[in-house]
Amino acid sequence: MSGIFPNAWHVARREYLVRVGSRTFVLLTIMLALVGFGLAVAPVVFRALGADKPLEVAVDVEAPDLGSDAIGTLAAALNGAAANTGAPAHFKLSAVEQPAAAEARVRDGQLDGLLTVGRGTGGDLVFSYLTHASPNSPATLAVRQAASALTIDDRLGRAGINPSDRGVIFAPPTFTAASTDPQDDRDEADFATRASLGTVLVVLIFIAILNYGNWIAGSVAEEKSNRVMELLITAATPRQLLVGKVLGTGAAGMTQYAAMLAAGLAGLLLQGAIGRRFFGDAPAAASTSGLDPVLLLVFGACFIGGFLVYSGLYAAAGSLITRTEEVQQMAGPIIAIAMLGYFAAILGGTTAPDAPWIKVLTFVPFFSPYLVPLRMAYGTITPAEVMGALAVLALGVVLTLWLASRIYAAGVLLYGQRPGLRTIWRAARVAR
Amino acid sequence: MSLVIDSITKRFGPVTALDGASFSVEPGRIFGLLGANGAGKTTCMRIVLDILRADSGTVTWQGTGNLELPRRTWGYLPEERGLYTRMTVIDVLRFFASLYGVPARDATREVEEWLERFRVPDYRDRKIEELSKGNQQKIQFIAAILHDPEVLIMDEPFTGLDPVNVGLLKEAFLEMRDRGKTLIFSTHQMETVEELCESIAILDRGKVVVSGTVRDVKRAMGRQVVRLALDGRGAGEANAASDGAWFTSIPGVRLSRQGEDFSEYAVEAGTDPARILDTALARGARVTRFEIADPSLEEVFIEHVGRRTVAEEDRHLAGSTGAAR
Repeated sequence: MSGIFPNAWHVARREYLVRVGSRTFVLLTIMLALVGFGLAVAPVVFRALGADKPLEVAVDVEAPDLGSDAIGTLAAALNGAAANTGAPAHFKLSAVEQPAAAEARVRDGQLDGLLTVGRGTGGDLVFSYLTHASPNSPATLAVRQAASALTIDDRLGRAGINPSDRGVIFAPPTFTAASTDPQDDRDEADFATRASLGTVLVVLIFIAILNYGNWIAGSVAEEKSNRVMELLITAATPRQLLVGKVLGTGAAGMTQYAAMLAAGLAGLLLQGAIGRRFFGDAPAAASTSGLDPVLLLVFGACFIGGFLVYSGLYAAAGSLITRTEEVQQMAGPIIAIAMLGYFAAILGGTTAPDAPWIKVLTFVPFFSPYLVPLRMAYGTITPAEVMGALAVLALGVVLTLWLASRIYAAGVLLYGQRPGLRTIWRAARVAR
Repeated sequence: MSLVIDSITKRFGPVTALDGASFSVEPGRIFGLLGANGAGKTTCMRIVLDILRADSGTVTWQGTGNLELPRRTWGYLPEERGLYTRMTVIDVLRFFASLYGVPARDATREVEEWLERFRVPDYRDRKIEELSKGNQQKIQFIAAILHDPEVLIMDEPFTGLDPVNVGLLKEAFLEMRDRGKTLIFSTHQMETVEELCESIAILDRGKVVVSGTVRDVKRAMGRQVVRLALDGRGAGEANAASDGAWFTSIPGVRLSRQGEDFSEYAVEAGTDPARILDTALARGARVTRFEIADPSLEEVFIEHVGRRTVAEEDRHLAGSTGAAR
């Protein structure tokens, strides 16, 4: 039995150089770098495009008995509600003298909405809202919420409660959420940052697995279909070939990711400069509160572990087909597993990061690469669990690569057959 | 000490590809592995190379089992040829050399030398996909020998080559043999085997039906061949036109080939081939050619395998379609 290196290095080196030197790789990397940079400078760009301007809503008060502070009440409710519904930062309200003119301005797009307040036959306020936005857009929902606040205020007034008492009724309660962890001093903003960070990490891992896994399967299938495999398999062991392929492709993938992240980082650093240059002020510094080094380290381990555990499967799949066109078909079951983990993380992990089934899946090698960084970002995983999950993942990587290299050894010599599970099993048993 | 293939059996499900095959190859010789399509030649080579594992039997080289031998013992030219088409010649060859532990500098020097020998020195930095099939085959041959293997195993190395390149490859074979390498190759071209090989083995349906030096194998047939031309014409025809098969008077002689240039007679063991000449002269014929030889490998092959070789089949096919028209 020969060792894995240095032949795996030679295979990896060739794989990397050919991959990185190809035109598609260069183009894709440039595109991804542009996307990374674009996302990073997006806030500045949005400002340049006026996307963060306040929404201007005209209010036509047709109930003469309504107090003159009705607009003030609406504005307070709107800008208070904005924070909860995720609506744009603030609303600018103005009283309307000529409703027809205001309506025309809404239709022209000069105004974002026209809110008409009248009084119905039952005595309650009646609202109608004219806008381009959809009925369930955050802005419309915020306006609706403000309308109900005004209605309640109005009902209280008609019930004889004086304005100062009404103010007391609407005052927010004193509410403190205490963490069971005395060390935990994160506030709501921290949680929001970390939640979105967790989602981003899961997406990054998912895309890497699907994309670079596909590269591996395609590359193995290509070596088979153009018959280089016969030479390779005499010159090196299946294990050397498999490990080299995975390492080389992985390194190429990392290069691409690094280019994207570097462009993104450059974008973040340039945000201030761009803001000053074009708007004369700097935007708030990008939040990095969720990015603690331990999380990044664990993310790196999960990224590599996840890539390895799936790429073994992809290489085995690639070895079983004869033509590169069959890659997608053969990779189907692997993609299904990857998707399962992804959706478990995105749907289950973000809404119920403490659920027992999420905890169990954290220790399954095909799912832990998603769930460990996600739960860490959410702060719902103990260090012991992280270590345990990573250990199981490492074991999974070794087992998968071992199994994959046996399938690979058998598969690379199967030509023209549509391999069933039995064929694969039989071939893997007798393989070197 | 030699390469010994001992009682190799290999089954693929219900198919027995090799059935107790045994033969040996002397070091420093060129050895021909013959057999019809599907006889087990490729499987046999793959087992020697340890790409496949035999169900039973052993392979030893210089007394060491092939599972213990380093990979660089072998050079392999597979029947299905392929290289990384988008890489340059030098990059592909240096890559394969690196897998055998050959330093890049040595590999480069060796590659340049071989490209020179194959009369294509300017292909060094060309991409594989820009090369013709024949030239790709030369590159593949270089890939098989760059690491200076002791044994070179080649599966149908001459197929798809034009006569000029066949000549170059034959020269390369002899060069390798002169360097003390052992060469094993499979082919359907019997003339090439006659020209290059000291020894052969013929495989039929997984079994070795005959093996040994070419001369011994031919002698073991127990008969000889006489080539005879009368008056510069094919003797058989000349005489068939007059009084029929005159040679039938000699026991153990059979007309095996009748041509315009000469005729060939199979002479059984125990019959003196000179009797054909005597009989012809006694009939007053003017003999322009008389030659006693061993049977051709073609005949040996057909006798043992009981089937025509591929080349023969092609000829046969071409002949029958011609007749139908």
